[in-house]
Amino acid sequence: MRTPLPLPPKPRGVAAMPLVLGGAVLAVLAVLPLFEKSPYTHHIFILLFLAIIMGEAWNVLGGYTGQYSVGHAAYFGVGAYVTMILLDKHQVAPWLGLWPAIVLSLVVALVIGAITFRLRGPYFVLASIAVAEIFRLIALNWKDLTNGAEGILLVSLPPLVVGGKTLLDVSAMPAEQAKIPFYYAGLGLAVVVIAVNWAVQHSKLGYYFQAIREDQDAAHSLGINLSFWKNLALLISAAFTAWAGSFYALYTGFIDPNNTLTTDVSVQMVLICIIGGIGTILGPVVGALVVVPLSEGLRANFGQVHALVYGILVVLVILFMPDGILGFVKKLATRRPAPAAPTAPPGTEVKA
Amino acid sequence: MTVFLQSLISGLLVGGVYALIGIGLTIIFGVMRVINFAHGELVMVGMYITFFAFSLFGIDPFVGIVIVIPLMFLFGAFLQKTFINRVLNALPQNQILLTIGLGLVMSNTVMLLFTSDYRILSTSYSSGSVNLGGISISEPLTISFLITAAITGALYWFLIKTDTGQAIRATAQDRDAAQLMGVNVRRMSVIATGIGAALAGTAGALISPTYYIFPQVGSAFTLKAFVIVVLGGMGSVVGATIGGLIIGVSESLSAAYVSSGLKELFVYVLFLLVLVFKPAGLLGKSRM
Repeated sequence: MRTPLPLPPKPRGVAAMPLVLGGAVLAVLAVLPLFEKSPYTHHIFILLFLAIIMGEAWNVLGGYTGQYSVGHAAYFGVGAYVTMILLDKHQVAPWLGLWPAIVLSLVVALVIGAITFRLRGPYFVLASIAVAEIFRLIALNWKDLTNGAEGILLVSLPPLVVGGKTLLDVSAMPAEQAKIPFYYAGLGLAVVVIAVNWAVQHSKLGYYFQAIREDQDAAHSLGINLSFWKNLALLISAAFTAWAGSFYALYTGFIDPNNTLTTDVSVQMVLICIIGGIGTILGPVVGALVVVPLSEGLRANFGQVHALVYGILVVLVILFMPDGILGFVKKLATRRPAPAAPTAPPGTEVKA
Repeated sequence: MTVFLQSLISGLLVGGVYALIGIGLTIIFGVMRVINFAHGELVMVGMYITFFAFSLFGIDPFVGIVIVIPLMFLFGAFLQKTFINRVLNALPQNQILLTIGLGLVMSNTVMLLFTSDYRILSTSYSSGSVNLGGISISEPLTISFLITAAITGALYWFLIKTDTGQAIRATAQDRDAAQLMGVNVRRMSVIATGIGAALAGTAGALISPTYYIFPQVGSAFTLKAFVIVVLGGMGSVVGATIGGLIIGVSESLSAAYVSSGLKELFVYVLFLLVLVFKPAGLLGKSRM
């Protein structure tokens, strides 16, 4: 007779607390436009959602897989440009144009991945920047397609027509309501990307990613196909980044190589994650909550200097809280009960 | 043939200045293994110092170097002591992000102080040129190339002949061994960052008569410096010198034969090819 070994307690199911809290926040956000009518508030929330989408999208590759791409502007730009070019030159409605944009960004991601994933550490970072710069220069110089430095201005959004019925016509809405569709689209997309990050963190897939982040060579020696999993992480990341780019283009109604394809866009995505806490589900949300109000407040009062906030914040965070705000808070919280038993599932510890 | 020679020469002249920027980056990397993503911003700061020395006090940009070098050395030393020194043992990505942050702070502070207007530093010789058998050679670029050559020569002498220079090279070769041999590696890191910043600032001063001066000008130089340094081999001073000249010439040739809008595209494609096929660079050991 064999006595079965006692199984270690499995971290099973979903902890109820975060779900309840998340649901409550979501419920509040869902009804907020009914009570808060100011377009400026809507605008701030839309920017917040956009920052969350961008941060969470980058987080899949940079946070969980440890591949610090500083070239995600390439996917953002592809998303923005494909949607706008299809709409502007071929009258393809954006809800249809979005899909080719995402597909193209996936193709681009496969090509970029094939080149850059051969490299590691700083070399990977440099290569990712160079690739994004190549896209910026193409957009700047291929004037027939992209209008070059002039950019593309969206005249009006076509109405959303399904089966002959007009469901939504943003351009016919009064100005104070026109932002509300974007508010809900942004909120929905942000929830989707957060869910994707949750799924990544709690799945076998995520364990592969995190194994690669912690030690590529060890992961490789355990039989993990590095290039396959890295590319998969990049594809997930690129798809949502392109989606964010498309959303940005439609919301602002104007794109040029400067606002979609510069290194600043890529850096912003990284900073949102690093400030909040890299490789965590809520890190990018915290980062966005810190950065967006701060930089928008400064933009309103001091003009163009909002990027200064990013700079100062990231310097402070790296020097004093290298695990981001979330990691810092966690450290403070766990300082009191000293004997922390090592019950955390493997890979969930944050190493930034 | 004239076009070819013309672009070859102007490429070499510009390449000399690029080499200066690249050497600064490679020295900082060599000694501390930190890639300075704020390097182009240091060039930009050098440009602004030169601009204001010229417009406020009438100091010629090429004479202004004597102000730029000590100021930028101190600035670099300050950056090392206050910020970079604290992340020497951190993850590479955190080092990168720190310098990106420092670069953002620099460019945006300059923008806050002096607005984002494009400024032009025009001297009596800014557009002057000498005609040599059908090939016109830009006067300011020639002067800056000669100064670059002199500074590069002095730097080689410093690194090879002086005790401090040897200590810097020893630190770059093996930080721990150098420390065991009694080299003050912390001091060498400060000096190396100072030198790197001074070289970047000097490059900024040298190109200020021929370039637009604006707060965001740095990022283009940061990228160019990476390309140069990776091409030559990370940490190799000779490599950075050659890399700078190669990039200068390839930019100018692609501008002459293809399109000036696309010259940077060629540089980045070249960069990716080097990264993929010879990541150690032309003269570097593989550090991957």
